[in-house]
Amino acid sequence: MMKPWQRLGVLAAGLLAAGALRLPVEARWSEEMRAAGLLRQGLQVETKAKIGQTFYAVALGGLRTLVATFFNLRTIGCYESLDWGKMDEIYQTMVTLAPRTGEYWIAGAHSQAMNAASYYRNDTFLEMSPLDREANWRAAVLRGREFAEQGTLNVPDDWKLQAFLGLLLTDRHKYRVFGDPDATFEAAARAYRAGADAPDALPFMRRFEMYSLARVESRRGEALELARKLYADPASRNPLLQKVCFALEVWANPTVVDPLALAVEVFGSEQRAYRELSQYWLHGGAGLPMNGVAIALAGLEAKLDVPAAESVLQQSVSRGRDGQDLEE
Amino acid sequence: MRRPGKQGIGSHGGRVLAITMNTFTQLVRMKVFYFLVVFALIMLGSNFFDLPQHGLPETFGFSVLRAVMSWSLGAMTLFSMVLAIVATALLLPRDVEDRTLYTILAKPVPRIDYLAGKLFGVLLLLAVSLAVMDLVMLGVLQLRMSLFMGQVEAMEAAGQAAEKVARMRAELLANGPDWSLQGAVVAVFLRAAIMAVLALFISTFSTSTLFTSIVSFLVYFLGYFQADMREAFLRTTGEGLGVLERGGALLLTLVLPDFQMFNVIDAVIEGAAMPLAVLGKLAVVAGFHLLFYLLASWYVFAGKEV
Repeated sequence: MMKPWQRLGVLAAGLLAAGALRLPVEARWSEEMRAAGLLRQGLQVETKAKIGQTFYAVALGGLRTLVATFFNLRTIGCYESLDWGKMDEIYQTMVTLAPRTGEYWIAGAHSQAMNAASYYRNDTFLEMSPLDREANWRAAVLRGREFAEQGTLNVPDDWKLQAFLGLLLTDRHKYRVFGDPDATFEAAARAYRAGADAPDALPFMRRFEMYSLARVESRRGEALELARKLYADPASRNPLLQKVCFALEVWANPTVVDPLALAVEVFGSEQRAYRELSQYWLHGGAGLPMNGVAIALAGLEAKLDVPAAESVLQQSVSRGRDGQDLEE
Repeated sequence: MRRPGKQGIGSHGGRVLAITMNTFTQLVRMKVFYFLVVFALIMLGSNFFDLPQHGLPETFGFSVLRAVMSWSLGAMTLFSMVLAIVATALLLPRDVEDRTLYTILAKPVPRIDYLAGKLFGVLLLLAVSLAVMDLVMLGVLQLRMSLFMGQVEAMEAAGQAAEKVARMRAELLANGPDWSLQGAVVAVFLRAAIMAVLALFISTFSTSTLFTSIVSFLVYFLGYFQADMREAFLRTTGEGLGVLERGGALLLTLVLPDFQMFNVIDAVIEGAAMPLAVLGKLAVVAGFHLLFYLLASWYVFAGKEV
């Protein structure tokens, strides 16, 4: 019969031996799960400071996403009190707890770049000088972009988040905030491309990548290549794609292509070509190529006997990248 | 008379089964299933939080579905953990208190059969509870899905772009109930099973239910640090950590279970798929703990004077 301390010793030895047996296996499996994106690193000390002692304990207890949901509820108060700073803080905490939840990144970026930005610019009850309004508006838009970009690093395969980032970067009211428009549209094209490469992405992502490239003069060659691929698929051949394809083909071969003949070929009939290209002309292009559009419209107006007074070419149009949103 | 080849009460399996069913009945009589009403209320409540960001076109519908999953699996984790610890911690002291233990052990019932029966009784209770909670969660998810699908159909009828409608439909289907979600529920069960056997082990040398419960909850929270301590031991050299610290980290790594592994449940809530192999690994880890701590409990309990 063993003495109690001997029994205790055997038990302790057994515990340690069992632990030693499972240690390498658990370490390897944890590493594999982490590599597969199923496990995350432990919570950092600053997260503890943000979420408080109680929530920290709960989050430690394997309930991080649940704690993130509680914080999501807290955002209601911020929406009501229009406290955008606090809102940003809450979303930052939420994405620390649940970094793979794409919608938290989208909602966080949206709350800054759209809700907060709009508040600073448009809220009539806000007592703020125009200069301060503008500064806060810019800061909110920039913060929204920063938040969305952080998100794309955490969930690069979330095409909706990439779509949101692309949309923000090409927003006609906001793209100037980000500095060089060419660099901004190139960044938008990268976001759309990353999203389009995701397995569950919808086809419009690839089209939007092409539109973003087409808005950058130096990238129009790539845009044309992509536009031809998209045009080959009848399912994605929508009116805007047809118009951009038309303009890019003329841009690439200005001396070879007859814009009038190409317009009829692309749009199927003179009437439809005139209607679509007129809209495109009046639309202002939103920075998209307009090559050959004026020539084709002039030719079509002559063929369709459009009176000179009604010519779309006579109507004043503001050019630049501030046209209507794409595929509206 | 026992028929040959059949498991009667005289066999190990028969005895364990009898004690398992008895333990299950004993726990059911303690009205533990009342917590299911609270769970149902939580499920209902989670449906009424209509957050402003749920209305974003990028997150239409599925953000609500994920919130329901998060609340459900969170509540399942809490209930299963409390049930596993408290129910197990109650068993031995209660059997001593009402003298059932002496009646059982006076018969030719090996102590390992008694402990296994008690443990499996708790596990059966956990399995039944989680199955019911799972059904409630699936019901709520299915209901919300059909409501959202109805909205999508209305959008389609109102002439919304086919691409947009297809996207919403695909998103909803991708974020609805699936096998990965069921895998997450199984992972919740496996984690609770580890805690149940740990609580059983602690209760074999503990002096009270309260002590067993407190130590078990402590072990549960420390289990979430085990992986960090393992990393500290495996990754650091003598420069970063002293000998004592490394020794302490190793000791705790060897003694505590790794509960961080079960955080794959969070990944499932966030939309990741849980491969069957991962669930298999979790089952192996849980099985190892169940077997080892059951034997360890038996070892302690066998040397105990009752």
